[in-house]
Amino acid sequence: MEIFEWVRFLAGAAFLLAGVVIFLIEMAGVFRFRYVLNRMHAAAMGDTLGIGFCLLGLIVMNGLNVTSLKLFLVIVFLWFSSPVSSHLIARLEVTTNEDGEKQYQVKNLDQEPQESGGKEEL
Amino acid sequence: MESLESAYGILFTGVLIVLAALILLCLLRAIIGPRTADRIVAANMMGTMVIVMIAILTVKLGEGYLADICLIYAMISFLAVIVLTKVYMGVYLEKKEKDEKAAASRNREETTGDGQTQDGSAQSLQDGSSGEEVSDGNI
Repeated sequence: MEIFEWVRFLAGAAFLLAGVVIFLIEMAGVFRFRYVLNRMHAAAMGDTLGIGFCLLGLIVMNGLNVTSLKLFLVIVFLWFSSPVSSHLIARLEVTTNEDGEKQYQVKNLDQEPQESGGKEEL
Repeated sequence: MESLESAYGILFTGVLIVLAALILLCLLRAIIGPRTADRIVAANMMGTMVIVMIAILTVKLGEGYLADICLIYAMISFLAVIVLTKVYMGVYLEKKEKDEKAAASRNREETTGDGQTQDGSAQSLQDGSSGEEVSDGNI
């Protein structure tokens, strides 16, 4: 029975350490990229994959009970909230950056009719 | 059994220390971030890491109610991002609208000439308030 406990500890520790590694990669990306919209790409990784791995490892260690259900609810909530907040931050950046044309190109999908579909190449 | 307990303690303490160091790096990013969006992204990352720390404390201390705090912290962190984004975008659009109005009235005064300053200024005020379409309520 003790072997089972050790296996559970090792599985949980593997998930938890994988999550911490994802957080480290996120931080490296945030410091290496040059622009906010690139940094956001790295920062969104920790919001979904990093916290997912960490909380999954904690669920494995904790066993199946109400606390684990609440931790799983945190993961589900972040799955929904992280894309929304990323979208809002990106829209703030695109709106407020006066000379953003050097950094990115904005394609306005609302004002282009179907003719752009023919012009677009692969 | 004792070695298992000590292994859990070492793992949780190590992960908590690493996360604390990462939160300090997030704070550094928030301080040196050149744009506002950088700071908001850094605040969001700090929120995520604090959620993981509270979840680790939930399992380490065996206290189930800390999971509720974790969930509420996630919601408040999301709300903070929404509010900061809306506030900064509203402030920016308001400033831009004011600048455009000032520039438009100045241009009209220059073009109408010096003879009819009162009429020109009144007309420019009317035009500036009604004619300029600044934004489509994008806030």
